[in-house]
Parts: sequence; C-alpha cells; structure tokens
Amino acid sequence: MKLSVDRTLCDGNGVCMGIAPDVFDIDDDLNLHIADEIPDDPAVQAQVRQSVTSCPVLALTLEE
Amino acid sequence: MVGETSQTIVVAGGSLAGHTVVTELERHGFAGQIVWVRGREGTAPYSRPALSKELIQGKVTAETIRLPVPQPYGPRVRIMDGAVCAGLDPHADRVLVTQPDLSERWIDFDALFVCTGTQARVPEAFAGLPGVHSLRTLADAERIKDRLAVRPRTVVVGAGLVGSEMAASLRSCGLPVELIVQGQLPMEAVFGAELGRFCLERHHANGVTTRLGATVTALTAEGPVTLTYDDGESSTADMVVLGLGAVTSCDWLDGCGLDLSDGLGCDEALRTARPNILAAGDVANWRHPLFGHRMRVEHWSNASAQARHAVESWLAGQEGRQPPAFADVPYFWSDQYGLKYQMVGHARGHDEVHVEEAGTGGYPFVTYLRGGRIVAAAGVNAPRAVMRMKARIQADLAGDPTSEEVYAR
Repeated sequence: MKLSVDRTLCDGNGVCMGIAPDVFDIDDDLNLHIADEIPDDPAVQAQVRQSVTSCPVLALTLEE
Repeated sequence: MVGETSQTIVVAGGSLAGHTVVTELERHGFAGQIVWVRGREGTAPYSRPALSKELIQGKVTAETIRLPVPQPYGPRVRIMDGAVCAGLDPHADRVLVTQPDLSERWIDFDALFVCTGTQARVPEAFAGLPGVHSLRTLADAERIKDRLAVRPRTVVVGAGLVGSEMAASLRSCGLPVELIVQGQLPMEAVFGAELGRFCLERHHANGVTTRLGATVTALTAEGPVTLTYDDGESSTADMVVLGLGAVTSCDWLDGCGLDLSDGLGCDEALRTARPNILAAGDVANWRHPLFGHRMRVEHWSNASAQARHAVESWLAGQEGRQPPAFADVPYFWSDQYGLKYQMVGHARGHDEVHVEEAGTGGYPFVTYLRGGRIVAAAGVNAPRAVMRMKARIQADLAGDPTSEEVYAR
C-alpha cells in the first residue's frame, strides 16, 4: 500500500484523520502527516481505502 | 461476487451517498443490475462542501470538485441523469421514475437505497425572486459566483453553517456583506454560545456588518432587493443569499407507508420497515446506538460512512447475518476566514459545557456533556484536540472503563 497526498489540495479537513487516526495526523497548522508504515492490519487498510474515497478535496492517492 | 445476476438494485440520489452506494456495490462485485437515478441536477457527483467555501472564492472549479470514479462504472450500472424517483409502490417493490422528458415508468427492484438528501429551505414568498439566491447545488453556487464580478452589496440571511461560510467567503472576495442572524449569535444552534461568540467576533473583525435577533418578514426585488425585518427596519442589497437550513427530499415517498416523520426512519442498521429499502446520508433518520436517540446528520463524513454501512447491512441480510448497527460518531468541519472549525459528536440535549483553549492559536475548545458524559467537542485550528475526543466520546458513551485512559493519551 503506497499512500500519497497532494499538498496543493489538502486543506486539513480532518475526514481522513477521523476515519484512520493511526495513519493520518493533522497538526494545528493544518498540515497532514501520514504514518511511514501502514500497519499490516486489514481493518486499518480498509480505513485507509475509505479515507481515500472520502477525502472531500480528493487529495489522497492510494497505490495497492 | 455477491447477489444474483437477476437482481436489480435502485439507488435514488446522485450525490455523495448515492455515489458511495454504487461504488461500494461495485467493489463488492454485485452481480446484478444497478439502476442509479441521479436526480434533477443532471451532473456527475461532486464535492458539495466546496461550494460555499473554495468554489465561491474561485479556488476550485466545477471540474476539479468532481468525485473520483475508481474505475469506469461496470456494464451493469445504468445511470439515469436528470431522472428523479417520483413514487414508491406501498405494496410492491417498485419505484416510479420520472425521466428528463417527463415520461414515467415503474422500475422493479430487489433493493432500494434512498439517498435523496436535502434541499435548501426557501420560504415560498422568497422563491424565484431576482437577485435572491439559495445555496445547495453546483448550479446555485455558479449563479452566485457569476454575479461577483459586479461586486454586489450582499445580505446573507441566516447564520448557520452555510450562512456563516458564505459571509466569510464573500468577505474574502472583498465584497461588502451584512449577515442577518436570527438568534443572538451565528452558528449558535450548532456550536452553542461560546463558539458562537467567537464566530461573531471573527465576522466583525473581518468587516461583516451583523443584524442580530432579526427575522426577514418581506423581500421585494425591483432593482435592488429590499429586506424588511420584524422590527420594521429594512436594508437594501444587490444580492441576497438565503442560508435558512435544509429540508429533506422525501416527498416522493409520501403515502408509501414508511416513517417520514423527519427524513426517512430507519433501524440501527439503516433499514426501513421494509428491510430491502435502506437509507443513507442527510435523509436517513436512525437511532444512534451510542447516543441512544434518533438523529439525522447533514454532513459529508456521515453520507459517505452511512452509504458504505447501508451496503454492508443489505449484504448481511442477503447472507442471513444480523446487520451491524451504524455507530459512527458524527464529524464536520467549517472554513471561515482561514480558520478551521471542527466538531465531533452530537451536542443535542447537552446540559453542561466546558470551555478551555486548545491548539497553537489558543482558540476556544468546547466540550459538551449530557448527564455527565461527553457527547461532543468542538475547536478552532485544533485538529488533534478535536479528533482525540472522538475516541473519548465513543468510549464514554459505550460505558467503557478505559475511556479515561483514551483521554489521557
């Protein structure tokens, strides 16, 4: 799973962080941080897929 | 593969919830036919939250806010653009669909997903007046945006989420804005008094004129628009934007025998009294198992998560499993003057608030309690503090003894 963010689009809306808090973190300056390693856990990976399709500014891309 | 090739699923509604139901059915490999009645707008699904924020400010366009399609829709997906569901047979599994040429036909279904959402609340007397706009659809937003070039003096009526965001976006475009607040504070119904006061200060600091405790009793549009208020005062504007909330779009279900007391009534698994008819998004009224009461949630994250869940519920029923309850903690955000407002939980019926500061900005951070349990939290530019509360609310409402531990993390 390779996850990337287009920082020109990301607005720190927090939808991804709400769905997959172990993978996405947004700091108080609204910058998104993505975990270096996505846990090898099907539940977390499902959350990541859901985060990508739920991003309201379409900033996340996932390569599986 | 799930389902039978002979099955037909009708998906009513062409926004995020309908889109997500279709893509989830495809992802699960549904073997039958999907008829997607996308509604009157006649456009591919797009990101609605962007309308009152980035689109009005010209930061994005209609093209860039289209929702991504993971792959071309399969050959079993039949898209009916511009078509609307006009009726549900109370005795048989079939919906009446009105096509763009106004012809009508019945479509039989094995399952129906109701994702018809909400529409802007516009009092009848204000409807269709020149210079008076509401904001719900892409076409609404583009009509407003097209008028900005002439730098209209604008009155925004209503100071909920859409009204406050519109006032902020129009100010960010440098336009003179007056904001009509029905209560004493903007966004008070959503956030309560503490953040409402903060929001009011931000509007004032950014040059918005406000009129508090005012109700518009009359609108006349001859040249400029004249607004008359309940105290007899009036103001004039080149453009009026109404932000008076939303009403559910489920008139088409009248007389079908389902619970329509507020949206479409569902069980905890998002199934209606007819279990092959499910709902997702703004229209769905369900009993939240953690909060212990019925609610409807008109926010982005909810539409996406419920659509996903409704598909799971239907699949569970197909496979003879007990469908799971939908227990997501609601979440939404709002952008105003470069600040990010965020809220998790559901503050309705709260009887206690705690206000502190959070985030590097030191802005107010509010925790809402009901009967001593945390039911919601909201902050400004403090995503970590807000999101940490999501797990806390979940644990607290579930009566989980580890909740203190979660909070301390």
